[in-house]
Amino acid sequence: MIIGGCDLGSTTGKAVVIIDDRIVLGNIIASTPKPAVTAQMAMDAAIRNAGLSSVKDFDYIVSTGYGRLRVEFANENISEISCHARGAFQIMPSVRTIIDIGGQDCKAISLSAKGAILGFEMNERCAAGTGRFFQVMAKVLDCGLDGIGAMANISTTPASISPQCTVFAESEIITLVNNDIPLPDIITGINRSVAGRVSSLARRVGVADDLVITGGCNKNEGLVNALKLALGIEIKKLPLDPQFMGALGAAVFAKEKAVKAAHSKGDDHGCK
Amino acid sequence: MDANNRSRVLEKFKSYSASIPNPSIDQFKSKGGKVMGYFCSFIPEELFIAAGFLPFRIRGTGSLGTERADEYFTSSNCSFPRHCFNQALSGKYDFLDGLIVGTSCDTTRYIYDNWKKSQVKTPFAYLLGFPHVSGEVMAGYYRKELAKLKTALEENFGAAITDDALRASVRLCNETRSLQQKIYDMRKSDNPAVTGSEMVSIMVAGISMPKEEYNRDIKELMSDLETTPSADKAYSARLMIVGSCGDDTVLSRIAEDQGAMVVTDHTCFGGKLKYGAVDETVSDPLEALAHYHVLTRPFCAKVGGAYPLRAKVIIETAKEFNVDGILGQRLGCCDTWGGELYILKDDLRDAGIPSLMIEREYIPDTEGQLATRIQAFIETVRR
Repeated sequence: MIIGGCDLGSTTGKAVVIIDDRIVLGNIIASTPKPAVTAQMAMDAAIRNAGLSSVKDFDYIVSTGYGRLRVEFANENISEISCHARGAFQIMPSVRTIIDIGGQDCKAISLSAKGAILGFEMNERCAAGTGRFFQVMAKVLDCGLDGIGAMANISTTPASISPQCTVFAESEIITLVNNDIPLPDIITGINRSVAGRVSSLARRVGVADDLVITGGCNKNEGLVNALKLALGIEIKKLPLDPQFMGALGAAVFAKEKAVKAAHSKGDDHGCK
Repeated sequence: MDANNRSRVLEKFKSYSASIPNPSIDQFKSKGGKVMGYFCSFIPEELFIAAGFLPFRIRGTGSLGTERADEYFTSSNCSFPRHCFNQALSGKYDFLDGLIVGTSCDTTRYIYDNWKKSQVKTPFAYLLGFPHVSGEVMAGYYRKELAKLKTALEENFGAAITDDALRASVRLCNETRSLQQKIYDMRKSDNPAVTGSEMVSIMVAGISMPKEEYNRDIKELMSDLETTPSADKAYSARLMIVGSCGDDTVLSRIAEDQGAMVVTDHTCFGGKLKYGAVDETVSDPLEALAHYHVLTRPFCAKVGGAYPLRAKVIIETAKEFNVDGILGQRLGCCDTWGGELYILKDDLRDAGIPSLMIEREYIPDTEGQLATRIQAFIETVRR
């Protein structure tokens, strides 16, 4: 059985292929102005990595992410909240709290022992606490997103930066730069600012062990440390790239659908 | 008549709720009738009907922005009154002969001052005091406030508002509530007679046209719904909407586009309006009206001491309509509903009712995010 999940996020597209029980990740594809093209590029990468040739080989594909309705080859779409929860639970059944920090939003999801969503919270319109916040700050500091991650844990005197508004925070940072505040202090301040915002979302759903972070911002070690500090609990490492959790969850849902469809047809071997 | 066009009245209600002016208002005015605009559902329409006026509940329908209203308000004021006022400044409420604003929330209250200060030349404007605490004493206070309003209307318009006329208007509005309740009841079945979006239109039309005409129309609608049932729709979850405002179909439409069915609500333009009845046996109709709004139906979240009753009604309604979950909505910067929904969420959880609390603007600027959250919620509560 060949199954696919495609997560078309605001800044990147990701896809996962499941061939029987083998999980194959695609590559992270930067979003283009055409969501359908990004989706195809993300899926093509996963298809190549899996040694397949076309989406026509698939039994079922589920799309997720902000562009989920634009994934033309998907059989169905499911929200990224459900997919991140399903993906993280699939590879770490002990997970009870998920923080997903994506390009344009962040979410906190609470799970039961069976992986059911007990509750979730999502940021409102404001971009503070999202990947976009880091992008804006990295541009102001001219250090790139990698620079924000690389300078983690250096500062002992982090700057205080508003957790409320990306535009105001940007002004604050320009002021700090002009006041000759060292870059590590500013960057640690940025991480703490985002962590403060995200941790309040997490507390609203209830923070419980095990807690994981999904989404691209998990790769920012400074943010992970700041969140650990803000929440006061250990943050577990996922055994697969956390940026693919949405696509993995979509693929897991797709597999469930395909198996159900095969059973309803009385075809226990409905594999290609 | 096919399932998609099964009622002339339903189409009329949709058209009336989608715009501010409508042919019924034009007709009323052409005969010399006066139209009384008002904010908030605790202001009794009965008083205006007894004076011979057509009550029209102010809403922001059709507004595309708040550019003109923002000369008077700031972004820290909730978007509903700003859009309403923007429509007034754009001339959409020039047909009003009077305006009654209640002391519900502060932003609404400031509409009164700004309306008078602005170039909107409504001939009569009145600020009606409404209690912010429930109880017998406050019902007495509200009765006095209603009496003052009655006198002001009589003096300004030369209209005698007799007790007999008031009793007749109470009977008329009770009939409206009862008819609306019957339509709500038709949504309890597995195949609800109307969608949540259609119900918004039905309710909003009721506060936009003469009651006699509306009551006739709604009876015809009920007959249409009985003779031409809606096509059996598959839906994944039965939802209820709770919160302020609700004069538009944004949340219902998004939820129903995601495969759910909104089967009931508790909003200021919806289900709260048809709750119970004003007591027709009380000799003093003003006392009956005050009693109804302060004690029977203290559904404005601003009214302290009445939260337990509000929560009880919401939970009972949710169970009665067999809902799978509740969407709570508040407009950005609305501190009143921010507090109400925060408390309600826990009570709903204890009652075993899943809920999703949403902050939105009157014109949603992030419909994609709203759709994601509502879709995810439906995925967690679906049947």
